[in-house]
Amino acid sequence: MNWKLLALVIGAVALLAAAILATDVAPLEALQTLLRGSLGSPRAIGGTLKETTPLLIAGLAVFLALRAGLFNIGVEGQLLVGAMTCTVVVLRLPGVIGVILGVAAGMVAGAAWAFPAGWIKAYRGGHEVITTIMLNSVAALLTTALVAGPLKAPGQESTTTASIPDALLLPAVASGEDWSLSLALVIGVVLTGAMAWWLRSSVGGYELQAVGANPTAAETAGVSSRRVTTLAMMASGALGGLAGALQVLAYEGRFYSGFSPGYGFDALGVALLAGASAWGVLPAALLFGVLAKGGTAVQILGVPKGITGVVLGLLILIFAAVRYRRVQCPA
Amino acid sequence: MSGLTILLLSTVTLSAPLILAAMGGFTSERGGVINIALEGKMLMAAAATALVGLGTHSAPFGLLAGIGAAIVMSLLHWLITQSFRVDHVVSGMAINAIALGGTNFLDKAFTDPAHAGEIPKFPLEAYYVLAVLVPLALWFAARRTRPGLHLLAVGSDPDKARQMGVAPLRVRFFGLLATGVLCGLAGAMLVTNAGRFTDGMTSGRGFIALAALILGGWRPIPGALACVGFGFATALQLQMQGTELAGARIPSEVWQVLPYVVTVIALAGALGKSRAPAGLGKL
Repeated sequence: MNWKLLALVIGAVALLAAAILATDVAPLEALQTLLRGSLGSPRAIGGTLKETTPLLIAGLAVFLALRAGLFNIGVEGQLLVGAMTCTVVVLRLPGVIGVILGVAAGMVAGAAWAFPAGWIKAYRGGHEVITTIMLNSVAALLTTALVAGPLKAPGQESTTTASIPDALLLPAVASGEDWSLSLALVIGVVLTGAMAWWLRSSVGGYELQAVGANPTAAETAGVSSRRVTTLAMMASGALGGLAGALQVLAYEGRFYSGFSPGYGFDALGVALLAGASAWGVLPAALLFGVLAKGGTAVQILGVPKGITGVVLGLLILIFAAVRYRRVQCPA
Repeated sequence: MSGLTILLLSTVTLSAPLILAAMGGFTSERGGVINIALEGKMLMAAAATALVGLGTHSAPFGLLAGIGAAIVMSLLHWLITQSFRVDHVVSGMAINAIALGGTNFLDKAFTDPAHAGEIPKFPLEAYYVLAVLVPLALWFAARRTRPGLHLLAVGSDPDKARQMGVAPLRVRFFGLLATGVLCGLAGAMLVTNAGRFTDGMTSGRGFIALAALILGGWRPIPGALACVGFGFATALQLQMQGTELAGARIPSEVWQVLPYVVTVIALAGALGKSRAPAGLGKL
């Protein structure tokens, strides 16, 4: 630990404490409420796990791109088009086949949405951050226009699609009186393991990380960094689409305008916290889930919900500072 | 007022904050600092302008607080990208998150009951004048003055600039300081125009300003013209809302999506070669 990092951490903690004190709430009480609201009861834990699910899968999407040296800020948009496409397909083609095709269509839509960003980065040199931010806005506006127009459920006042029948939604793996554990979260955990294995043990995973670490060296070794960049972005987009599709099938049951409260953005924080291994995405997603669920409880104390945004920003900064320091000073 | 006058006036009102923010983007991006944090800096400035303006019943204090808040965010940006060497994009995301959360916090914690008061303000015309003068001044500065040329040099190749005796950290410090001032003005103008602060009131304007800057090839005057184009599209959309064009109702999203789609096409190189500063994001 060096003094600069220490200063950053102390500054962040002091800022948070000062902010909470300014609202006449004792910081310790706020922390207690946050933990009780997110982990204090089976019901609270169930809610936390529900929040964790989209963050985990979207976090894996960002993480994969990050390993290839790409900042996919576009997961938010990819998640939106994935969720909408999945909903449309499942509503048109009922039955289990429809659900499977719906998930596949959601992933394809996400990949298609990420493609321009990857292609422009690889072949035109346009920074993927700018393109994905633009594509996020396009996705938000497009999906809003569609659910307000052609996809709007007949007889509905609000801008939403029709609801998918309960029988077609993903079942709970386990459940109790006032909590349940959705299959979607289990899929997310399995995916985490699969990605960790793929990155470590497959040729594709190695090539992807080689391009992320040093595109010139990878090129010299015979890897087409342009092709890998484009494909990595699309794979990341497919995962973003999957996050949206599973969110529909596990929890929401329909697509509506304002579907995502910013899962894609929080996912960036998740992936940055994760460190170098895909397994790190799990605890990071859980931490963000706790913050999201506990934040609602703290609001009741009179601490505005914006405080979780500030915590998120500071966490990202501190962890990024630690991480980049480690990368740049190998010794 | 005739329809045309209203259209032109609202184009000016909608473009001016975009221009100020885009010029803020110019002073940092040309120095090599990727700035996706324009949005957060504007938002912070808007909240501070409203909060202090209400508290002190003074327009100058409100404006100064707005500029000060944006400068603080901007110098934080400098500190974490240049001193802590955090990736520029990650820093920008974090600053946006802190600003969005922080303004929500400030708004709820300090102003909620006092929301009714009127915020003292400077005339909007002052901001219009600035929106014309600033791009011209930056254009001149970047071509003819020593600090301006240093900024471009650092943005194009920080290593070579260092060899020539120009300190990138110092140049970027002043570049980001200018970003703070300009984003502060942009945020203050939003509050002046709306008459109050609302949660997330920048609603993507920082990103549109960045898009305009890119579209203008990171040059001040074309960038400002792109802002006017986007402002005009929005003004047109507001005026056309609910009316029919050739028998069909066009969703307002079609107009709103325009800046983003045009920018992606521009980045794909369809509108000419990319002219991004070569040192963008480098340490």
